[in-house]
Amino acid sequence: MLKKYIISFLFVFLQYLVASQNAAAIDYKAYGFIQPEITTFFNGDGRHDQSNSNQSIFVKGTFITYLNNGNQKITINTTGRIDEKDSERSYIDFQKFKYEQYFDDITLKIGNELIFWGVNESFNIIDIINQSNLAEDISGTKKFGQPMISLNYNHSYGNFDLFIMSFFKERIFPGRNGRPRLALEVDKSTVAYESSSKKNKIDAAVRYSTVYDDYDIGIAHFYGNNRSPELNVNPLSQKLDTYYPILSQTSLDIQSTKGAWLYKLETLTAKNGEERHFGIAGGTEYTIYGLRETTSDLGIIVEYTFDDRNDFAFNNEGVLALRWTKNDIKSTSLLAGLVADMSGSSNRFFAEFEQRIRDDLKVFMDMSINGEIDADDFTYAFEEDSQLTLKIAKYF
Amino acid sequence: MKFAKIIFIIFALFPFYLSAETAEEQGLRIAKASYENGRGYTDMVSDQLMILIDPKGNEVTREVSAKTLENLDPNDGDKSLTYFKTPKDVEGTVMLSHTHISDDDDQWLYLPALGRVKRISSSNKSGAFMGSEVAFEDFSGTDYRKYEWKFLGEEMENNETFYKLESYPNYENSGYSKRISLIDNLNRTYKVDFYDRKGELLKTLYLEDYVLYKDKIWMANTMKVENIQNKNITIFKWLNRELDVGINKKDFEKSSILRLAD
Repeated sequence: MLKKYIISFLFVFLQYLVASQNAAAIDYKAYGFIQPEITTFFNGDGRHDQSNSNQSIFVKGTFITYLNNGNQKITINTTGRIDEKDSERSYIDFQKFKYEQYFDDITLKIGNELIFWGVNESFNIIDIINQSNLAEDISGTKKFGQPMISLNYNHSYGNFDLFIMSFFKERIFPGRNGRPRLALEVDKSTVAYESSSKKNKIDAAVRYSTVYDDYDIGIAHFYGNNRSPELNVNPLSQKLDTYYPILSQTSLDIQSTKGAWLYKLETLTAKNGEERHFGIAGGTEYTIYGLRETTSDLGIIVEYTFDDRNDFAFNNEGVLALRWTKNDIKSTSLLAGLVADMSGSSNRFFAEFEQRIRDDLKVFMDMSINGEIDADDFTYAFEEDSQLTLKIAKYF
Repeated sequence: MKFAKIIFIIFALFPFYLSAETAEEQGLRIAKASYENGRGYTDMVSDQLMILIDPKGNEVTREVSAKTLENLDPNDGDKSLTYFKTPKDVEGTVMLSHTHISDDDDQWLYLPALGRVKRISSSNKSGAFMGSEVAFEDFSGTDYRKYEWKFLGEEMENNETFYKLESYPNYENSGYSKRISLIDNLNRTYKVDFYDRKGELLKTLYLEDYVLYKDKIWMANTMKVENIQNKNITIFKWLNRELDVGINKKDFEKSSILRLAD
């Protein structure tokens, strides 16, 4: 109920702000894209009887306006999807729906926001503010907007951020027909929390970040509902029950930029419910510019992640990837690599190609090929989900 | 007596010393004057069009808007903040650049598709900017101190006399072995020939539509680059250029990227 009031209030307030400006003087930007996608799976029907193909349409729209000589800003950023097979994958989300007020050194923000913490290409272990949409993308990189009030203070010693958040959003998992999906279904009716306030718990986070010479450094602390729930098999329903403990996480992220070499590190210590854990992830990226006297660049990315929880899905993994950018008029690029479980024999190959084919059209091809996967690895459920997805984005 | 002799010798040598400015010193002097011609702008806002033309005559246009802050410290470089408008798939991309004279530049990029600000490597000197014939070093390498100079003489072109200078980059990873510049008597650069690492002529830059700002600063509002080897042409046009508008220094900090981002 409260959430509804706040959203209506925000809406009326924004309308008032826009209306109070001289209508002719309002300067805004609006743009977006619509992206049909076709997926085909190489191993026939899935391990859980999912279909060997899927079609989907993804949309994103952005609206930005600055008011009062640029001292106020309204941003609306909406994403959504209609999925043929998996109803859990069909959604609409206001990733950003925020009002910002700029003072000299202070930024005040109210509304839905996406906040990214971290430096790594693959293992963003410290990124905690926003909830992941695993139905959209099983790797968890696609996020939902988080309602918040935030303050940023820009001091000569660095940046201080304070985030006060509520209206927690539960993690979205692939549904019964989703591919890939977990071996068991996630039961949405049995969600439990450590916090008695559940979804309405007030979460808080602080972050200090600074640039010192070649180093970009961030230190942060988060206290609130863990975005990543514990999944427990319910012996009666044979479904997965979700439990969200309270997480208290302290993190450090550093990137050092030394010429063509980037060195990256993310590390955290956290208390999740009653148990403390430690995680570290990092690596390096080296780029060869002007490969063989052409305009192409080739980046080599090596990253590794460790977590001291034995039952954690990503506790000892490595990535080796190559990023080729042609630097042509079509912005042609290819990212390909191997993800491997260093303590087992599970591995996965991936390739992502993209090219602009017209000023307002871009084509993407994503391929994922699973190698041998250990039966005790949680990705065993996806073993037969090797796939190729073709996407065409039409920008407007 | 000895003292007087020394003074005499110094005075006797002095006029000779003046006339004996070496080709390197003369080149450096003209390059410095030409560079200083564009200094004193304090800060600047502009919209820029980049028109890419292939040998068949196909054209595409890219639009950006930019803010630039002059570094009043003569030993450090300027700062710039660029907002990309087209092509549409990169709309909302923001690039912040802190240039340095002797060091690699600091660069950060915000990409809407990733929703994060990334520190990127700036050692990519010879790479093409957005698929154009302009290399990154052509933007960041405008400071005369990034080159060794040599005066080659005077040359007539289009009934005008120009100083002809040769320059060699003194930073690493340049795509050029040398550049030959023509500079007019108002110290404005008219034309630059770029030679690739093998010593072959790679491309020619023409600077046109010079406008005098604040009664003392000459800036070219059109730059045309003709690649001799692949026959592509890139034209840059500055529109709505305004100087000394009073931009807040803090707009050029990493955290301010998000104020521009989507």
